Amino acid sequence: MSYPGGAFESAQDQKDRGLADVAQRAGSLDTPTDALLARQDVQDYLVASQEEDFEVSLVPLSQWQLAWRRFKKHRLALVGSVIVGMMVFIAIFGPILWPYDPLDLTKITRPGGDPPSPANIFGTDYLGRSVWELVVNGARLSVAFGLTTMVIAVGVGVTVGVIAGFFGGWTDGVLMRLVDLMLAIPFLFIILVAASFFGSGDPLMLMVIFGLLSWPVLARLTRALYLSLREQEYVDAARAVGVRDRRIAFRHILPNALGPIIVSATLVVANAIILEAFVSYLGFGVRSTDISWGTALTASQGQLILGNWWWAFFPGLAIALMVTGISFMGDGLRDAFDPRAHE
Amino acid sequence: MTSYIIRRALGLIPLFIGVVIISYVLLLAAPGGPAGNVIANPRMTVEMKEKWLNRWCLEDSKDPAAILRMFGGWSGVLNCEKDGFDALFSEQGGLNVLPAFLGGGDNGFLHGDLGNSLNTGRLVVDMIWERLAATVMLAMTAMVIWITLAIVLGVFAAVRRYSVYDQGLTFLSYILYSMPTFWLGLMLIFLFGPMLHLLPTGGVVNARDWPAFGSPQFWTAAGKDPVTAFLDMGTHLILPVVTLVAVNIAADSRFVRASMLETLSADFVRTARAKGLAARRVIYRHAFRNAMLPVTTNIALEIPFLLSGAIVTETIFSWPGIGRLFIESVGERDYYVLMALIMMTSFAILVANLMADVIYAIIDPRIRY
Repeated sequence: MSYPGGAFESAQDQKDRGLADVAQRAGSLDTPTDALLARQDVQDYLVASQEEDFEVSLVPLSQWQLAWRRFKKHRLALVGSVIVGMMVFIAIFGPILWPYDPLDLTKITRPGGDPPSPANIFGTDYLGRSVWELVVNGARLSVAFGLTTMVIAVGVGVTVGVIAGFFGGWTDGVLMRLVDLMLAIPFLFIILVAASFFGSGDPLMLMVIFGLLSWPVLARLTRALYLSLREQEYVDAARAVGVRDRRIAFRHILPNALGPIIVSATLVVANAIILEAFVSYLGFGVRSTDISWGTALTASQGQLILGNWWWAFFPGLAIALMVTGISFMGDGLRDAFDPRAHE
Repeated sequence: MTSYIIRRALGLIPLFIGVVIISYVLLLAAPGGPAGNVIANPRMTVEMKEKWLNRWCLEDSKDPAAILRMFGGWSGVLNCEKDGFDALFSEQGGLNVLPAFLGGGDNGFLHGDLGNSLNTGRLVVDMIWERLAATVMLAMTAMVIWITLAIVLGVFAAVRRYSVYDQGLTFLSYILYSMPTFWLGLMLIFLFGPMLHLLPTGGVVNARDWPAFGSPQFWTAAGKDPVTAFLDMGTHLILPVVTLVAVNIAADSRFVRASMLETLSADFVRTARAKGLAARRVIYRHAFRNAMLPVTTNIALEIPFLLSGAIVTETIFSWPGIGRLFIESVGERDYYVLMALIMMTSFAILVANLMADVIYAIIDPRIRY
């Protein structure tokens, strides 16, 4: 892990500082010779740094470029990104390479399904479905669940948060009471009820339900960010030159608030994937003909108790890996957007 | 202080009413409804159905006015023996909302009637009461263990910051934090059940030796042989408790660590050190006590967990608690049980929020109220 301030101050930062020191000395010198020598110092420094295969960039970097630079140095975040990237790759191309066909079952040799073997690397379930195919095909729906839920939750949450935080007044009061209300209902309870009563097994409907129940946290976060950001000087400046409110809210403030919002959006993705799996596992989620990591697990507990572990193991492992990857990424993003967040 | 608490408590009342209305409307706006369940019940006579529908204002309709009426009947504001505007008044003539001894009605949750299960006809209160012991037993054991462990581990990690121990703990807490609860539970079941044959993998007690847990018969049987009952429950507790602790310890130990780090870098700690106090004393007397302020409120916020938090774990380990009751009722569309449970847990959440605020105001003198 990298630590801001400590190990986080990279070689580059130190060199930047060294250069600044040298340049400062150059500026404060009196005699021409000294100044000349000092200028020589600066050049030496530049040459030396180039020799060490290191370029001193005098090009100003935007916030996003700086964040990206910090993200790249975060080892766990890179591991997480690789995992997530792999999973997304499998979700997109896996079902094309190993399509799931409910009619194409392997002949099983024992009642609980066959254990992992070279032919079926993840084994088969008691019907003869290949667990590998279940995992690969489930990835598509599960990843889609995470992303769609996140998009809906961020869309609603950020809009509500901006309206409440930027414009304030009675709308703020009403919206925040609504958020309080939604947060006072036990989340798992209400999601189970909504999924079972309104979901009717339709994946898209369930994604909408998950999204519509996940936004309050994001709204609260966005509002808090806006409350502090709207007092900044650049907002006053924008207002002074006559920029309209809506433009200030979305074009001037939003880019500055985006960091923390992105971090908690990654958490929404992870949570949605776990929730979908749990709700479907209980039988209240996606109908069993649509393969997701949750439906792949349905009924696996009965076999697990008989000692046939592989059916429950691999889909669950996929979920655990994906969620770990996402939270590593989220941690990297947090450090990237706010180097002091971990202090 | 008292006025602060009262003010905060009063502020929660509209919130609670809002929660109740929203969840009720959500339940009733969905396809189906309690009226259909009652009408289709083969074990009720026509008169019984009539009486039941009247008492609870049930109608087989999705009309907003009908839903509002049903809510009125369920909450006890309306008396549906009467029609129209008169429904606001009870048989005794007073406003129906009032308690019975003041001339009000006797129906609805405001008068203490949470209804019956639409599936078995049992009183909802009895059903919840029966399940409460199992849930509290499981959640309380897990909570005590994980909070203690989280504090010890978190403080230690903060004191030995960046050490191998700290980094290891950080990494482990990431892994545990991302672990889906139910998968961890399934793997533990496999490991200690069919593979090692060490521990029981479901239920509170061995179903062959005891009557159903929570029933009166069970308590009499357990009363006769408390030691065996206790041991049996203990072994059944191990796996679900381990699952809950593993999943919940990650976030809490991070929280303790962050809070401890913040205090350790505070000025008063540096002063204490500069005065020459032993590092141990500074850490455990000066820093620790102050670091525990936010941790305490965080613990208060976790109290609703006692009721609703173990829902996943209870399902996996067939633990007959509140969470499982909820899932069964969702499957059976048992409206009265669902409403009672949602109401109960929301109430717990609101009270916990209030408690967290109050505790914080009491233990931190800097808070103005």
